Amino acid sequence: MTVKKTIIVGYGSVKKVYIGENLPLVFIGGPCAIESRDHSLFMAESIAKICAKHNIPWIFKSCFDKDCRSSVDSFHGIGMHEGLSILSDVRKEFNVPVVSDFSDPIWAKETGEVCDLVQVPAYLCRQTSILRAAAETLKPVHLKKGQFMSPWNMKNSVRKLESFGCDQILLADRGTFFGYSMLVNDMTSFPIMSKTGYPVCFDATHSIQLPTSMGNISGGQREFIPPLVRAASAAGINALFMETHNNPSKALSDSNTVLDLKYLETILVQAKTIHQCRLELYSKFGEDIVHKE
Amino acid sequence: MIWKKDKFPVVKPDTILKEVLDKMDSFCLGIACIVDDDQNLIGLITDGDIRRKLLSSQKPLSALFVDDVIDHAIFNPVTVQKDTSVSQVIKVMDENKIWDLPVLDKSKLIGLIHLHSILKYILDQ
Repeated sequence: MTVKKTIIVGYGSVKKVYIGENLPLVFIGGPCAIESRDHSLFMAESIAKICAKHNIPWIFKSCFDKDCRSSVDSFHGIGMHEGLSILSDVRKEFNVPVVSDFSDPIWAKETGEVCDLVQVPAYLCRQTSILRAAAETLKPVHLKKGQFMSPWNMKNSVRKLESFGCDQILLADRGTFFGYSMLVNDMTSFPIMSKTGYPVCFDATHSIQLPTSMGNISGGQREFIPPLVRAASAAGINALFMETHNNPSKALSDSNTVLDLKYLETILVQAKTIHQCRLELYSKFGEDIVHKE
Repeated sequence: MIWKKDKFPVVKPDTILKEVLDKMDSFCLGIACIVDDDQNLIGLITDGDIRRKLLSSQKPLSALFVDDVIDHAIFNPVTVQKDTSVSQVIKVMDENKIWDLPVLDKSKLIGLIHLHSILKYILDQ
């Protein structure tokens, strides 16, 4: 595993979160879409309690615009200005870094002025204009691997970000298309993407998505979240991403994939335990070198 | 007799393997020299190295192509200094069974000498 860089998320007085090798596993999570100020504050408070109880560094994630919904009738988001205002409140109230994605380069500047981490959606992971805009925020970038991309080709997107001056990158795997309306997870993506020299993240809740399997919305197989989280934690991730909701069936976005908040604690504790075990094994046995080309 | 650096492939360590192969192909040469920002020679890659890699690596070709060339380079290659005599260059090529030799000024790459250019030089004399 070749993770070299540590990325630092958090500006101003907010509590900084460090993501890298030989560091605690970081949780990135929250409701998929910002639904309301009250709901965001409630979710942040609930997650903050769990993370504080188990000493898990975390970043609040929720998006102001959902531009990749399957249907034009699906909830599209609360809007950038209202959404960023809510994220700013969450940030101040809970002293936690926040992240949102952005789907249009013109949204990048304002997103970066509020968010501690800016996220590039998987579908847009090779769009030069989006990557340039992300880099120009001067904030760390959470770059998701497109479902259509090989893990080794993410290096090209990384090189684009680097060429625009960004050297704070977190690479995430959120599954890979396996035919139509189906994703699979290839755990080799983590050591492969780590070769870029940046930390890696597993997006557990999007990985179990069945893209647009329900006609005009996506389905999902939540029952696979726990085994995949355990597998990814053992495979060598530095951060774990999960969208969570207190009432998934009523969630305005990704209702078939978000993790019910009531299960979040048990999943996070398992991930943390396996992560610590992996670090101990690395410390004991050294690097994973079993083959030289 | 010594080819200048615009006559053969000279690449940076983080150039991806596919681009290096393209460059070797465009020069019709089986060697590329890898240099740092100060033009110090770091390593080499040759057709033979790629051939051995293809025989030993089980990676998909698309994954191999995007690797940095330095990941597959040979280090401490055989070289000659710029004031080496022609007879000594031929001797070095013969002893090492090679027909390309990077020419250095101390550690800096200044050119490449190829067996064909030596033959042409001898025939022209």
